[in-house]
Amino acid sequence: MSDRFKQIVVTGGKGGTGKSTVAVLLANKFVKEGKKVILVDCDVECPNDYLLVGQQLDKPVDFIYAQFPKLIKSKCKKCGLCAKTCKSNAVFQAPGKYPVFLPELCSACGACWLVCPEKAIKPKKVKTGKVFASKIKNDLWLITGEAKPALEETGPVVAKVKKFALNFAEKKKADIILFDTAPGTHCPVIQAVLDTDLAYVVTEPTPMGAYDLNLILDLLKKLKVPAKIILNQADLGNKEKIKKIVRKYKTKIAEEIPYSKKLVKAYSKGQLLNYKNIKI
Amino acid sequence: MKICISSTSPNLDSPVDPRFGRCQYFLIVDEKGKLIKSMPNQGVQAMRGAGITAAQLVANEKVEVIITGNVGPNAFGALQTSGIKIYTGAFDMTAKQALDKYNKGELKEVNVATGPGQFGKGPGFGKGRGQRDW
Repeated sequence: MSDRFKQIVVTGGKGGTGKSTVAVLLANKFVKEGKKVILVDCDVECPNDYLLVGQQLDKPVDFIYAQFPKLIKSKCKKCGLCAKTCKSNAVFQAPGKYPVFLPELCSACGACWLVCPEKAIKPKKVKTGKVFASKIKNDLWLITGEAKPALEETGPVVAKVKKFALNFAEKKKADIILFDTAPGTHCPVIQAVLDTDLAYVVTEPTPMGAYDLNLILDLLKKLKVPAKIILNQADLGNKEKIKKIVRKYKTKIAEEIPYSKKLVKAYSKGQLLNYKNIKI
Repeated sequence: MKICISSTSPNLDSPVDPRFGRCQYFLIVDEKGKLIKSMPNQGVQAMRGAGITAAQLVANEKVEVIITGNVGPNAFGALQTSGIKIYTGAFDMTAKQALDKYNKGELKEVNVATGPGQFGKGPGFGKGRGQRDW
């Protein structure tokens, strides 16, 4: 947590509920209230926020690296400790043979080279992500993280994008930093949510929305991040299930956004910044 | 010589489990077809890398031949480095029948992965998504 700026995360569990739309609308609302805002696209597997604000991604301003194991055969005594230690099942060793590292399963945690008594495993730097920074308008910047396609673990990429964004926010003397997460409750979402001051949870009044809302609120409770609900397309479907979950987690629906063709059009044309503010 | 058969339960009359990495049991037999040992597959519940766990378990038993239905890319990649021979195509038969077929030379030794892996992963990801190269 920072005293200088407030950290807000926009998440939701289910995909396609309007997380990015709400994130952009919120960012724009804060700017109109006179705040300096950094919007951070943490959906690093398919970052789209830049499209919603009619931008292009130019050259990356930073790269993200992870370290994967490489064996130095001349030092290896085939003790097998690396294979026994690996929790990702990414090291295989046949009896009497050299260990084999399987990059497709490796999460780059580094345990294998830490335990190797012969120092026969060397970390090898591999590019796993890119960071882009775009100035959208006065007092509004967008930081976009992008993970290398087919990368197994994207949580660490999100963590590093966040770190970059926090430094960026310090430099720009920002008031609010707004993280837009991927759908789900897995590692990249957890990384985006960690250490934030408030979560806006975007959902929809459908059985799928309700089911996933329960999951994400459970996660937020575990991570001790207070949650407020934004119900999108609130006038379609049935709200009862959502309301029950909202009561269960003792939170509240901060805003209901009715279905709007105008909003969908603005979304599809990348003109969300011209759309009227949301109220919260 | 030790032979390993992926199986649905711990005896030779049970059906072969066609999935190597996520089979229920491994039966270890000698070249005369005598059951030496049956082991539950500890990797069956692994989130990822079940094939590697299975391959490690079998390799530690110093088996020389594996008989199964399909073998996924991870397990295949690992087993290739161990020198263990893999025979696939044992579908709809008991472990005993599969062993007979192997002894008659009716099962195929493979040198590529025959199964898709739990998450349908394979080559061919890499470039192509979005407009930028990696």
